[in-house]
Amino acid sequence: MTDIIVPEGLWDADVTPEGIVSNWFFADGATVSKDSVVAEIMVEKSTFDIETPTGGVLKHSVPKDGVIRPGTVIGTVNAG
Amino acid sequence: MTSNRILPMSRAISEAIAQEMRTDPSVFVMGEDIGAYGGIFGATSGLLDEFGDGRVRDTPISETGFIGAGVGAAMSGMRPIVELMFVDFFGVCMDSIYNLAAKNTYFSGGNYKVPMVIMTATGGGYSDAGQHSQTLHGTFAHLPGMKVVAPSNAYDAKGLMATAIRDDSPVMFMFHKGLQGLAWMASPDGAATVVPEDTYAIPFGQAKVVREGKDATIVTLSMMVHHALDAAEALAKEGIEAEVIDLRTIVPLDRDTILKSVAKTGRLIVVDEDYKSFGLTGEIIATVAEHDPTCLKSAPRRLAVPDVPIPYSRVMEQFVLPNAKTIADSVRASVKGA
Repeated sequence: MTDIIVPEGLWDADVTPEGIVSNWFFADGATVSKDSVVAEIMVEKSTFDIETPTGGVLKHSVPKDGVIRPGTVIGTVNAG
Repeated sequence: MTSNRILPMSRAISEAIAQEMRTDPSVFVMGEDIGAYGGIFGATSGLLDEFGDGRVRDTPISETGFIGAGVGAAMSGMRPIVELMFVDFFGVCMDSIYNLAAKNTYFSGGNYKVPMVIMTATGGGYSDAGQHSQTLHGTFAHLPGMKVVAPSNAYDAKGLMATAIRDDSPVMFMFHKGLQGLAWMASPDGAATVVPEDTYAIPFGQAKVVREGKDATIVTLSMMVHHALDAAEALAKEGIEAEVIDLRTIVPLDRDTILKSVAKTGRLIVVDEDYKSFGLTGEIIATVAEHDPTCLKSAPRRLAVPDVPIPYSRVMEQFVLPNAKTIADSVRASVKGA
């Protein structure tokens, strides 16, 4: 199982510590392929795409509109 | 290729533009904050990174100038997509839109085409006041020379944008802000859909029956499709089966699908987020009346914004906009009044 993690350094977390998951592009339980853009996060007015490092069955750990910080695991992918 | 990818409408639009830009070097995008910012409603996100600032051009706040430049570019062989940030801002640039873009094909005796897309944000519901909240569907549909598109969901938006870019006429592509799937504005569940990754085009002038029913026909478009579907869901629990038609394009208008549905149901309710008088709702009712008024079992009804500018006050704005409850009430009255 692989974690999908909000990367460090995308934005200045000292100024704005938190963001949200603004969109999931695949449903919970969907099969995704490696390097797909699976989610979008929003910090203030900026958005960032989040890719999955591996393919498999996606599970959302943070729902749409849920709060995230750098390093947050927003979902997992099970290669099973 | 099948896909299980769910895109919000904003991403579906930007993907359609990107795919057309990859295959046709004459396609480019201009507008306010459409570059680094990706469009304030996300319709051009990611384009600057892929195509650079030669083909994705931020403009000054000068709509008359840059829409006029778009007309000139289109007449010179390009296929510009020009974003008018809010449709409400048409006031300063209407000469470029309806005296240049819409008429130059006619004025040149057909010697020049104006293959241009004016992409613009419509709609209210989020307390942004009367100069940021109109849809103005009827304003642009009324003036000859432009095609007018207003999608209700991501799948349609992608296919209709591809058609808009390839069309040789000027096209007003009117997307509702509340359907774009932006983090800061609530969006109905049905607006984000599975969107194929391959390119595809949806022909203009083909309305879609998004829910079948035998008791009444609700004709609508854009955001109001979702409210109409919610109303139909509520009515079904009472045994009233409403058919819901999503027009998808206003010009050209798929009158056949409307007539066929009303011939079946005998009742017509038209719902539009635009102003009520002299507009789309009246046009749809006239279409049925001109064709065969005897197919109606009860008087046609229309729900639209009463003829006042959209209020800033949340309670007042919510009062003037049609919603699932007022649509259901209208259908109920139509069915029971017969």
